[in-house]
Amino acid sequence: MTPVGSINPLLTGGSLLNKIDAPLPKLPGVHLGGATAPASGEGFGRMLDGLVATVDAKQQEAQALTQKVLLGDSGQLHQSVIAMQEAGVSFSLMVEVRNKLIESYQELMRMQV
Amino acid sequence: MVDPIFQSDNYVLARKLLDAAVVRQEAVAANIANAETPGYRRVDVAPDFAVQLKARLESGELSASAGSLKPRIVEDTTARAIRPDGNSVEIEHELLAMNKNAVEHEYLTEIISQNIKQLKMAITGRTV
Amino acid sequence: MNLISGIDISASALAAQKTRLDIVAQNIANAQTTRTASGGPYQRQVVSFETELVRSQGSANGSLQSVRVAQVTTDRSPGQQVYNPQHPDASPDGLVTMPNVNLSQEMVDLITASRTYEANLSVVKNARQMAMRTLEIGK
Repeated sequence: MTPVGSINPLLTGGSLLNKIDAPLPKLPGVHLGGATAPASGEGFGRMLDGLVATVDAKQQEAQALTQKVLLGDSGQLHQSVIAMQEAGVSFSLMVEVRNKLIESYQELMRMQV
Repeated sequence: MVDPIFQSDNYVLARKLLDAAVVRQEAVAANIANAETPGYRRVDVAPDFAVQLKARLESGELSASAGSLKPRIVEDTTARAIRPDGNSVEIEHELLAMNKNAVEHEYLTEIISQNIKQLKMAITGRTV
Repeated sequence: MNLISGIDISASALAAQKTRLDIVAQNIANAQTTRTASGGPYQRQVVSFETELVRSQGSANGSLQSVRVAQVTTDRSPGQQVYNPQHPDASPDGLVTMPNVNLSQEMVDLITASRTYEANLSVVKNARQMAMRTLEIGK
């Protein structure tokens, strides 16, 4: 699935999530109480992977059902409509998560150290 | 992440029952078409569909097992012969069944629609 | 594309009822026809219905059947004989054999066929409404 597949390398393979997930730099005199951030690739990366997989699966299901209806194979118009809506919602969720992640990253980069 | 909604009990139930409503519409169409065919026995969705659906709900594995449950059309053995040639179709009864089914269909699509719309609203933050 | 559930079934039924209505109209129109091309008075025609397998759901499941006209048969029972020596088709002893069309019987047939036709039409309407509503899911 081209639109879905193209988001994945951009975010997980690339530098963006690595930067977000990277451990915070140690500043002299500042003690960070909690644990350091998880290793790169986990956390947001895995969540987005899961999302992409879900969206892919739902879009394929929607496409299969739609094709069946188009070819006159099945009287399952309602399943096709529901599958398309579900795929749309999943896709929309993934896009919003991506947007928020990018926003947070940009916000972080703007912070004065 | 979206699956908690798409696999919630009521949503899955509604989708399955929607399958049954569509099949029942076809069964009623067949019955009304054959209202005067000699020897025709009326058909309907198998009554054990609802029973099985409920059983799977109560066993807790609805979303996993619901996919395999499909509504079937069987002869309605409780219908008695209306005409001397054995035809068991009463047009008024069929029309009533069709109207009842239409309302059920409307109700089920409303449930599914509301679930999807709420999810959309939650994701995009907009009410449209 | 089978977008409206059951429409092929209803379509067959409407076609069958239309044929029946045509035959009834033909009978009524010829209720007084004492001379046909093949000689003799008009004999009424009757349609008979039979089921037509539309969709089977596999051996374990029931199947959906629509209806079709099995055949159009001619009712060979003799019509009434009326004494009318002036009639051009009168036999030597002044009797005219009328068509075996019973008008009240035909009218009952006409009304029944119309009622069944209307019922099938309402099935189509209902199915279409359901399909239109389905398309609105999530909107």
